Amino acid sequence: MSAAVDCELSMTEEPGFFLHLSKCKRCSEEFDEARKTKLIIKERVIRFKAPQSLINSIMQLTCLSQQEAGRHESPL
Amino acid sequence: MKLESAIQSKRDVTHFRKKDYIRAGAFLPCMSSQKRFKESPTISEPGTFQLMDNRDPASHNKPSVSDRLPHTDLELVHGKSLTKHESHSTAELKKQLEFQNEAVPHLNALYNYALHITMNPDDAEDLVQETYLKAYRFFNSFERGTNCKAWLFKILKNNYINSFRKNSKEPGKVDYDLIKDFYHSIKDSRNDTSETDTDYFHSLLHEEVYQALHSLPEEFREVIQLCDIEGFTYEEIANMVDSPIGTVRSRLYRGRKLLRTQLEGYARQHGFYTDQDE
Repeated sequence: MSAAVDCELSMTEEPGFFLHLSKCKRCSEEFDEARKTKLIIKERVIRFKAPQSLINSIMQLTCLSQQEAGRHESPL
Repeated sequence: MKLESAIQSKRDVTHFRKKDYIRAGAFLPCMSSQKRFKESPTISEPGTFQLMDNRDPASHNKPSVSDRLPHTDLELVHGKSLTKHESHSTAELKKQLEFQNEAVPHLNALYNYALHITMNPDDAEDLVQETYLKAYRFFNSFERGTNCKAWLFKILKNNYINSFRKNSKEPGKVDYDLIKDFYHSIKDSRNDTSETDTDYFHSLLHEEVYQALHSLPEEFREVIQLCDIEGFTYEEIANMVDSPIGTVRSRLYRGRKLLRTQLEGYARQHGFYTDQDE
């Protein structure tokens, strides 16, 4: 069921699953509920931007190495 | 005992300090896991990152790194035979550029995942920082063309287990007051009452969904976060949580069912019955 919701069914599993859904009301309702739950999570859970201090420190991480590299002989 | 030795022999590392990790550049991500990251790297970024309202198209998310990137003028060395130092510098610059292009864009996603698992903005920041430190040190072992985001998440998860989890709350215990306080401390004070309550779906507050998610057992919450929020495939999730794909499927199924029960409870509080859903 969850694989169908996440489009992770294999090529062999998929036709059989949807055929069953067309015949089974209970499974069909459960499938709709699971899809709705997934949508709620996707849309309602707020995502936050990383704080600027963190961005700065990550950028520093890669820039530090460049500063060290710059101390070596100039290619010119 | 040095940190490296402690990690290799799987001893307790909780007494080591952050600077020990930085000095040691410790902990190689598991090589066998990396070998499995050979599938298509394409994953879609689910939604945008917002400070408050994730329906506002105006505030897009990527960290503003591109205008802060140092210029790397590799043309300077073309056509010349390089000294040992020049070769080293060029290789290092190339590594930086690749790292900035491949790894740094996932900063927001990593931060959000760290927030979910640590429930503390300061810890989340530390965790992400250490993750990037290790990722940069071992970037040459990352297989180009595979999913860098998944690789980073795996490092973060391992960091969390090694460094933070031992100091955190007992697994499975949920402190609703903590969740509520934490949520309010990092979101804008503006409350979401602008939705028209045409159905229970729209009536659910962000906070309620957040609380419902955090009421789940950790193993269920984790797979739902990785699948529904971060958009990883089942195979990638299986790698990250060190479980078979069948287990991932099962946890998603049971987790969503539990979540649904929780959310229905909130819906009833808003005066809606799920039988009358759209």
